[in-house]
Amino acid sequence: MKTMGIDVGSILSKVVILEDDEPIATGVIETTGNVSDEIVGLVEKVLADTGLARDQLDFAAGTGSGADLLTGVDFVEDEVTCIGASTGYLLHEIDLAVEIGGQSITSIELDEEGDIVNFMRNDKCASGSGRFLEVISGALGVGIEGIDEVVAQAGSPVSISSQCGVFGESEVITHVNAGEELADIMAGVCESVAKIVVAQIRRFGIQNVYTLTGGVVRVDSVARTIREKLDGKYFEFPYDPCLAAAIGAAMLAGVDLESSS
Amino acid sequence: MLFGGIDIGSLTAQAVLVNDCQISAYCSIPVRPNPLESAGAALGNMLEERGLRLEDVSYIVSTGYGREKIQSAGIAQENVSEISCHGIGAYTLEPQVRTIIDIGGQDAKIIRMDDEGVLVDFVMNDKCAAGTGRFLEVMSKILGLSLEELGPVSLTSRDRVELSSRCSIYAETEVLHYLQRGVDKASIAFGVNRSMADRVMALVRRVGIEKEVVMSGGVAKNVAVRAELEKMMNVRMLMPKVDPQIIGAYGAAILARRAGGGS
Repeated sequence: MKTMGIDVGSILSKVVILEDDEPIATGVIETTGNVSDEIVGLVEKVLADTGLARDQLDFAAGTGSGADLLTGVDFVEDEVTCIGASTGYLLHEIDLAVEIGGQSITSIELDEEGDIVNFMRNDKCASGSGRFLEVISGALGVGIEGIDEVVAQAGSPVSISSQCGVFGESEVITHVNAGEELADIMAGVCESVAKIVVAQIRRFGIQNVYTLTGGVVRVDSVARTIREKLDGKYFEFPYDPCLAAAIGAAMLAGVDLESSS
Repeated sequence: MLFGGIDIGSLTAQAVLVNDCQISAYCSIPVRPNPLESAGAALGNMLEERGLRLEDVSYIVSTGYGREKIQSAGIAQENVSEISCHGIGAYTLEPQVRTIIDIGGQDAKIIRMDDEGVLVDFVMNDKCAAGTGRFLEVMSKILGLSLEELGPVSLTSRDRVELSSRCSIYAETEVLHYLQRGVDKASIAFGVNRSMADRVMALVRRVGIEKEVVMSGGVAKNVAVRAELEKMMNVRMLMPKVDPQIIGAYGAAILARRAGGGS
């Protein structure tokens, strides 16, 4: 069985094709203005990688904040359900999946069956999200992909006190003007994102066995710091962590197909 | 005898000189990289304009960012919190005031006082840019308007767009989408000012309103935010006859007068 999952996030859009729950092709692009055209192009590219035609796929599901703009999917599922589905299926051991996405941080509690028990989400405020990281590193002239390279040169991180992205932006500029090293400021920003994420996890109260997903987890300086701050046992998501929702959507597409046939 | 007050905000710095309770001079400047420079420049400009020297001022109180540093550098003889200075400043100007809404560049405070001008309660937001001057600054920039234009432009529209995001960063994206769809700037500005007033009201509700109400800080100059707040509170606010941005520095000068032996 072949299914497709499309996750239209606020910063990244992702497409995954699964064959019997194994990814056979994936694609990730930045979400800009013209979502529908971008996704059509990305789907074509990912399909081309597999050598399959669109009608050879059994089912397709969409998810993410821009999923409403999708055409040609069989159904749309919310991200929390999708992330729960992929992390719960792929990592049986975990009781917590934490997604750090472009515009949200979500802690999801999973039971032994991999089903969602509870979740906590901040999508009201950019604090600690991919947007937060993007805005603040942007003020420092560093793109998200370049963060790890910059932080590798850091000595001791400069402490960033702002939890608000707008205030954080001015705070880092103040540090630049005060003559602090770019690498040290950038390391401080990663530390601050990690602190905000860890604060939510502590409020949520579960952190025995966990995994981290979402685009921000691609930034190792952030992901590593989160792991250092948490006591629980960490399991790495077996694919690119930003694909968790897309993979989950494709898995749910398969489940839907099986139950309806 | 002359007494001085200095208030360093996140975006602007103010100095006020009082002779008795009357303002005899004031100066407002954009902040310099550090509070000491800001204090020196605001005070220096004000004194120079009046042909005065620092020795002519009997006592100076500092408030705002870096108020302790300004005192230890010897520019001021004493430092007092912004809450107290805004309270006493507004109370001296309008003795009927019981609630002060002070919205600065990076924070918002609601101050409640009793009939003797004594502080009863206050709430403050300095964690989140929503509901502070920074929100308006970010929004006016993306709208291509100056901060001064944001209020008057908003008043020209009867329509108001709904901003669903509280977060300044997400609201910025929302405004951008409205602009891309060709929505009229004035109705977006109206939505921005309304959203600002909504955030301030959330803070006001936590301490409650008692009449009379005075608004201080730079955002008090935005007519549309004032109008929205008055509608929501169902209260007409008093308008002291001074620049609302100098009320904190004025309060500091009044405290300097008390401490420095002015009657």
